[in-house]
Amino acid sequence: MNDYGRIMPRDRGAASLDVVIVVMAFLAALALGAALIAERAAVSWRTGLVGRITVQILPSEKAGDPDHEVRAALDVLRHTSGIAHAAQLSERETAELVRPWLGADALVSELPLPKLIDAKIAPGEGVDIDNLRRQIRAAAPDAIIDDHTRWLARLRSLARGVLWSAYGVLLLIALATAATVSFAIRAGLQAHREIVELLHQMGAHSSFIARAFEWHYFFAALIAGAIGTALAAGLYSAGTGLEAVGLEAVPFLPPVGLHLSELAWFLVIPVAASWIALATARFSVLGVLARIY
Amino acid sequence: MVTAMVRFENVGMRYGAGPEVLRDVTFTLDPGSFSFLTGPSGAGKSTLLKLMYLAEPPSRGLITMFGQDVSRTHRSQFPALRRRIGVVFQDFRLLDHLTAYENVALPLRIAGQDATDYRQDVEELLSWVGLGERLKAKPRTLSGGEQQRIAIARAVVARPDVLLADEPTGNVDPDMGKRLIRLFEELNKLGTTVLIATHDRTLIESARAREMRLVDGRLVELRGPQP
Repeated sequence: MNDYGRIMPRDRGAASLDVVIVVMAFLAALALGAALIAERAAVSWRTGLVGRITVQILPSEKAGDPDHEVRAALDVLRHTSGIAHAAQLSERETAELVRPWLGADALVSELPLPKLIDAKIAPGEGVDIDNLRRQIRAAAPDAIIDDHTRWLARLRSLARGVLWSAYGVLLLIALATAATVSFAIRAGLQAHREIVELLHQMGAHSSFIARAFEWHYFFAALIAGAIGTALAAGLYSAGTGLEAVGLEAVPFLPPVGLHLSELAWFLVIPVAASWIALATARFSVLGVLARIY
Repeated sequence: MVTAMVRFENVGMRYGAGPEVLRDVTFTLDPGSFSFLTGPSGAGKSTLLKLMYLAEPPSRGLITMFGQDVSRTHRSQFPALRRRIGVVFQDFRLLDHLTAYENVALPLRIAGQDATDYRQDVEELLSWVGLGERLKAKPRTLSGGEQQRIAIARAVVARPDVLLADEPTGNVDPDMGKRLIRLFEELNKLGTTVLIATHDRTLIESARAREMRLVDGRLVELRGPQP
């Protein structure tokens, strides 16, 4: 332990502060994990949709042959610069897309499903979507062109929302930790007032006394923070384990497991907790000492 | 003219709205002087010592320490002044979680000295006060007399310019009392200004030093500074 730490005895009741920091670190790690999962999910959704265009030819009573419109739309797409690939989805592929919502009932095959064309934009190429939309509509009046920008924008705002919420939770946890440590230090200063006054009388600078406190709380927060973070890491690892054996840890949500590279971010939490404790200790002690003669 | 180590001029002290504990106290402690402060319990001896070791500001009057007017000294300079003062508290004020060695070494740690530089000095000093075998003992395991000797060793270890001791021989037998007084005298010969607050007449008579007596908060010079 640091040389300064021994000047202050371990507080009675310090265990309850340790428990609070363990819980705070656990919650912080959960929030950070949620942010990492949201970020990863948003990236995977984006990469799945960015660079793709879907053309739907809706069944229409007034128009003519939908297959003719499909061919016309495909023709436009294949002659558009920047489109790497365009192909019609088979009826089986289209039925597969609606199966999660409508099922695979025989009735479904009788439903007037739209004809779908999936087009891929060549990487690094730009396509003038408005111009393309006009050209396809001219060739195939029942076509709807979707470049997924609306869906992507909503996904982006959802991911942003989750991320900022997680950061907000992390900030609140940091503030709560600082307030708790500050409270504990004031109680500690009161309990060890005689020691503080003795050091003060012996000519110790305020910074020397503050260091005696701050290192004490630094190491306490580092250890407690590491325990709380390890608990949360264990929980996420359990999620990874469940997914590895084919079980969905949380239904309907993206995989809740974290990769090793993502778990490495968790190391930030005990370090941040210990520095928050150190800074809070320093300001609290200096504030109290400023009022002593 | 030699600058006095401590100078009090018409100093008065009261706590809150209470009566004055010290009234118009005027005296000087010259460099290298040896003095006793006597007086009945409650006469204000501890309060006078507190003012001298800069634990409290006076209610009125002028205090000059090492030639510096305390009231005009910025608080950032107080630690440097306090390091020049060694104090033996009547209630010892040892840190119970530290060993005898660590308690004695504390002023040197505060002064920023390295443990390797002071280890030998601290061990020798503890041997001198008869605790060479108890370096690692915690204060709670020691007798009152042993604790008092640690408190004295802590006060003198940094060779302060001024040593203030409040009943430093109150808990030791007469032989150890004489040994401790010899320690103070040795320190005094090396130039430290010593002031001992005590009731012990034997101690006062044996040292034949200056004696100042506090009666009802007023200071009376019983025996002037010795040549």
